Amino acid sequence: MATVVAPPCRAKILSLFRSLLRSSRQFPDYNIREYTKRRTIDAFHHNKSLSNRSSISTAFTDGKYQLQVAKRQAIVYRMYSPKAKSIMDINYTAHRSVTADHSATTDCVVSTFYQLVGLEANDTPC
Amino acid sequence: MASKILTTTLRRSLTLKTIPHIRPLSTATAAVTEPSDEISMKGVKISGRPLYLDMQATSPVDPRVLDAMIPYFVSRYGNPHSRTHLYGWESDEAVEVARTQVANLINASAKEIVFTSGATECNNISVKGVMHFYKEKKKHVITTQTEHKCVLDSCRHLQQEGFDVTYLPVKNDGLIDLNELKGAIRSVTGLVSVMAVNNEIGVIQPMEEIGEICKEFNVPFHTDAAQALGKIPIDVNKWNVSLMSLSGHKVYGPKGVGALYMRRRPRIRVEPQMNGGGQERGIRSGTVPTPLVVGMGAACELAMKEMEYDEKRVTKLKDRLLNGIRAKLDGVVVNGSVERRYAGNLNLSFAYVEGESLLMGLKEVAVSSGSACTSASLEPSYVLRALGVDEDMAHTSIRFGIGRFTTEEEIDKAVELTVNQVEKLLTNRFGILKKW
Repeated sequence: MATVVAPPCRAKILSLFRSLLRSSRQFPDYNIREYTKRRTIDAFHHNKSLSNRSSISTAFTDGKYQLQVAKRQAIVYRMYSPKAKSIMDINYTAHRSVTADHSATTDCVVSTFYQLVGLEANDTPC
Repeated sequence: MASKILTTTLRRSLTLKTIPHIRPLSTATAAVTEPSDEISMKGVKISGRPLYLDMQATSPVDPRVLDAMIPYFVSRYGNPHSRTHLYGWESDEAVEVARTQVANLINASAKEIVFTSGATECNNISVKGVMHFYKEKKKHVITTQTEHKCVLDSCRHLQQEGFDVTYLPVKNDGLIDLNELKGAIRSVTGLVSVMAVNNEIGVIQPMEEIGEICKEFNVPFHTDAAQALGKIPIDVNKWNVSLMSLSGHKVYGPKGVGALYMRRRPRIRVEPQMNGGGQERGIRSGTVPTPLVVGMGAACELAMKEMEYDEKRVTKLKDRLLNGIRAKLDGVVVNGSVERRYAGNLNLSFAYVEGESLLMGLKEVAVSSGSACTSASLEPSYVLRALGVDEDMAHTSIRFGIGRFTTEEEIDKAVELTVNQVEKLLTNRFGILKKW
């Protein structure tokens, strides 16, 4: 009898989303940072309509693997980041916060995620 | 317990602040802090790294590709041709996996892929190798006037050896005339070489139609698909190509690696340009660089997954760029066909503006005029000349390259900088701002 692996619950998916966005903020390179953030949001948005259990599990496993890749590469990019930052970072420092307050940005991002995936704020945690 | 929590939080907060650039205690009394962010190179001072809009010259390595490559530099450093130990076996396995990944992107079989050092080497093998192999019976090569320098140079080399080469002209939009191609094919034609996506103007040639013509006349068809890989869907069977040159660093992979597709049915034979131990089926001897090849394979697999997403995004950004510039400036001409082009390559000419001064003023944007291999010379690009563009418009052309990592803010900033610079040059030249 094959054991059926249950697909991840909503809280786990939310946690993965948050971790991916957090890891994107760790990149010192402007382009990679923006790309990781944008790609994560678009990918979760695209996958929100998945209903098949196995496809949800596959997407979640792929997401976890991408998180590991992002964490490793953020460290590598930080170790070898050039002294001079991109012009976009210098001119737009008012709008971007690379190392600043994390909690405010996370809450704003989390609320965006709620809107994207139509989750209720008081969903039962697993 | 509380002390443990305290130490972990303390450690975490300290690491966040001290990972980058720790300055040792300086004994300099004059408190002149050098602006560590300012870059001064070749007489130009800029405050930070320019924004990169030159994707046709090369593309940044995707972090996912780098992640796939690093193990093969650090621990799995074996030679894939060593048959006697684990290092060789695991390296060989990685090369074969990469081969399949590249083959899947172009709908070919893994046995038809040969790894080389780049698209230039692939083009050399294709043009010179095929003609030297069939030199008894085939003496004629057909190519276009807008090909990459390496193809044109190989053809020139063949001409010096006594072969006959026809350089097909292109129409004003950059596409070749299919009837002219049919007319140029003779019984001794050994190869037709047409690049899929032009690196300077971005036009996409009618590959399926050319493939049909070559099939009808039974002439091998070679294409340089370095700029097309991962950007437009490629199918070697639909296009009926016998040889295809692919490059790693145009698909967000590492530099120094490429792949040559060689059809097996019907088999195309080439004379090898690199002789040695018979690696890569004797076509290209030399140790296969495992990390680079793994990188190219990972880049191709990524490109297959991301092609649709990237294409939509790049088209949107290109429209934003073009509309932004056209809204503020007149006399902007897009070089090359507007319908049959790859969106990520935008070649614009600005009327009444001098090209070199425009480029010198755009130091905060990394763009190029013409291709990277011809940007050293002062002559206008031969591709634009082949299109029939006037000398002065050809001098003032700029190529914007948009890719996977370009953002909307970068496009807006590029529009702003370009428009400012062009207006400044127009004002200087005429005393008044010339408006049409």
